[in-house]
Amino acid sequence: MMLKWRKKIAALMVGSVVALAFPMAAFAQIKNPGLLVHAADDEPTTLDPAQVEPGEGGETVILQVYDRLLDIGAGSSDVIPSLAAEVPSLINGGISANGLVYTFKLREGVKFHDGTAFTADDVKYSWDRAMTMDLPEGNAGALSDVIASTEAVDDMTFRVTLSEPSASFLNSIVVAMVASVVSKDAVEVNGGVVAGTPNRFMAGDMVGTGPYKFVTWNRNENLQMEIYEDYWGENAKLNVRIEIGGDPDVRVLGLRAGEFDTIETDPSFISDLEGAEGVTIYSGGLLLEPLHIGLNLNIPKGSLPPEDTIPEDFFHDPRIRQAFNHAFDYQAFLNGPLAGYGDFNPHYVPIGIFGYDPNAPVYDKKDYAKAEALFREAGYWDKGFTVSVITEEGNLFALMCLVLKDSIERLNPKFRVNVLAVAESVFDDAHASNPLEYAMWAKNADPAADPNFYLNAYAHPDGEWGEAHGFANGYKDADRIASLIDRAAVELDSAKRAALYSELQEVLYDDPMWIIGAQEGVVMAHRSWLKGFAMQPLWPRPSLKFALFDK
Amino acid sequence: MNLRDYILRRLVVLPILIIGVSIVVFTLTRVGGSPIGIYLSHEMSPSEVAEIKARFNMDKPVWTQYLYWIRGIFQGDFGWSGVAAAPVSDVFPIKLAATMELAFCAGLVALFLGITLGTYAGARRNRLPDHITRIIAVSGASMPQFWFGIILLIIFWANLGIAPIGRSDATIFASIGHPTGLYTIDSIIAGSPKALWDAIWHLILPALTLGFGATAIIARMMRSALVEELQQDYVDAARAKGLAERIVIKRHARRNALVPTVTVIGLTFGFLLQGTITIEIIYRWPGLGRWMADSVLRGDQATLMTYVLFTSILFLMVNLIVDVVYANLDRRVTLGK
Repeated sequence: MMLKWRKKIAALMVGSVVALAFPMAAFAQIKNPGLLVHAADDEPTTLDPAQVEPGEGGETVILQVYDRLLDIGAGSSDVIPSLAAEVPSLINGGISANGLVYTFKLREGVKFHDGTAFTADDVKYSWDRAMTMDLPEGNAGALSDVIASTEAVDDMTFRVTLSEPSASFLNSIVVAMVASVVSKDAVEVNGGVVAGTPNRFMAGDMVGTGPYKFVTWNRNENLQMEIYEDYWGENAKLNVRIEIGGDPDVRVLGLRAGEFDTIETDPSFISDLEGAEGVTIYSGGLLLEPLHIGLNLNIPKGSLPPEDTIPEDFFHDPRIRQAFNHAFDYQAFLNGPLAGYGDFNPHYVPIGIFGYDPNAPVYDKKDYAKAEALFREAGYWDKGFTVSVITEEGNLFALMCLVLKDSIERLNPKFRVNVLAVAESVFDDAHASNPLEYAMWAKNADPAADPNFYLNAYAHPDGEWGEAHGFANGYKDADRIASLIDRAAVELDSAKRAALYSELQEVLYDDPMWIIGAQEGVVMAHRSWLKGFAMQPLWPRPSLKFALFDK
Repeated sequence: MNLRDYILRRLVVLPILIIGVSIVVFTLTRVGGSPIGIYLSHEMSPSEVAEIKARFNMDKPVWTQYLYWIRGIFQGDFGWSGVAAAPVSDVFPIKLAATMELAFCAGLVALFLGITLGTYAGARRNRLPDHITRIIAVSGASMPQFWFGIILLIIFWANLGIAPIGRSDATIFASIGHPTGLYTIDSIIAGSPKALWDAIWHLILPALTLGFGATAIIARMMRSALVEELQQDYVDAARAKGLAERIVIKRHARRNALVPTVTVIGLTFGFLLQGTITIEIIYRWPGLGRWMADSVLRGDQATLMTYVLFTSILFLMVNLIVDVVYANLDRRVTLGK
């Protein structure tokens, strides 16, 4: 009896040891043939192009299921035809001489996933719908800010008139997810268009013309798409299942095991995958979402956290802003949390965007001597200060704040930076407040394909953040900066436009309104059996088009 | 007071208690700040923020917000879950079913292993099997669930590739209807052995991980109770009659030893429900625990309020049932005094 029991225990122990020691199968055999399993870190909040927030998980799905008039190819940042038969230009007559009217000749024979034919009426309906709904969480402003009117000239011709010339219209707005073409018929039978109100059907269902048909979305679990056999272009080769959320370590484990083909992680997990059998680390290029810390020049009196000792006009002084920029330990942030994947971009044009000047001055090294001199000049070196920075907990932004804290407090023990790492909803509530009741906050920029977006949002005194943060209170010459950005926005001559952006990058180095921690590198791990792997930072995160892949 | 009057009185008081609970729940969630953040994105302008606040009635005074919330509940509208991107009322039953199914199966695992190991050890007191069982029981109680779960995941999912992760194979899951939300039951109703196997196959690892912790408590209780019973006179009498030891244990001692063990089993279910949070995160199980963990981290207060309200009402109901059952079981208990 006892012998039998001992044998069982021994067998169990040997079995466990063998199982643990058993090397992961050589994976000569591809797992899940015919199916791409992508492990995402985020649940979409909506699948409706008119409602989706830029950079949010829903954009990943919209990119695959819907088409837009134009697209950006995998290999370059040039726009290419998609539902439009050609890219409008002055030469082919698609753009009027005054730069205000764009005419799109549409692709013939395209069908929606419900079998209805695609026409110019659908394009007009899609764009008008987004602008009419004008949902605060969505990106309709990208369209309505520049569009004066839309017109379906005939079944296969769509015309749009702008309110003023826009150098970024084709490569920034027409390719945006909000400009995706939805089926007019599908929307009309499912609630139609109501101003200011989300469409419940469209938020959870999709009828597009893209290479993938939407199948099902099990909240918190997975989302499935299947190949659309009647796609107008080259058909996708693999059906897709997106596994949603879960622990990042489990995603890494799943990739090693071959259960997932691609996973979303931040760079700090890449070291866990380096050298893993059957796993390829792809790196190249940079994400267009610089990680930044905002400096607030518009703090309401008496609203700062009680422990803060800085005056409300602390960041009005450009020397203080420069000193913070000089004190930040850029290399520590790059080599630590970003695992070496990233670079440093000038204020405020990311590397890889038109107008980026490689000769522009960049904050990329900790320079305590300069920081000390500036803090002394500004009168804070001896008296010190305490300032708080608010951020979301448990991510790269929080780590960036800790690097800032470490950098500033090491510089002078009289300096104190409190990192307020809070739940996402608490941060979003604070972040969306205007005026903002904190001196600093950390997040990343929204991605865009054109420099005007960045400079307008993050540098213009009357832009989105310029107005909220009161940039006009601190710029040495706010009018000059505003004028340079406004002129560049409508300048259709590329050389002249690039020169204006170079000048801006020079000016903003001396008058920074942000601490740009780094521009995060594009890095992704995938199974080596995946063929045709490509990433394009100009596509919404995770910058993948599943239709290109095969096993 | 007779039983019927007592139950009626408790049922009359119940709505008042529920309203009290709802006020407490609402107030507590507001202490952590406005719930509006989950619906906001950072590039919204002040007018857009105001629009969102108006959409969710967050622009009203707090007591008005409470009334809107209560009115919504009576209309079956528990608010919008920012985490699940859907109405709470749509998602809650699905998640609850997934969690209950996992907790129930883990309970079965704990029950089977606990009683078997406890009996085995109790019948072999102070011999090797007893010591080994103690080691297993102690390790089950002391091993952190997340660690044990990850170890099982590494061995059976990542290395051997013989166990799945998640709740189902998405294609098989989609091939049947889900009238109850319990995948195992639904697959039986649909008459699909393939779906039933898929459900069981996905349940094994998470149920084993979750149930193993509870096994320890049941096994130890069962062992002690059995050891005590085996020292009773009636056991000696049974042995004296010439009954085989196996029969003495199975038919006489074990049956009596189960009485105190059953009390512990009841308490264990609470432990299992609590443990689903960790297990669901590790195994990507789409249940209430994982949803709640995400909701806490992201501040999804509509979901949290529903969860707390639901569990509070459940607790009130269970208390009522327990009181009634106790009164029935033990006539010394008088109700309503």
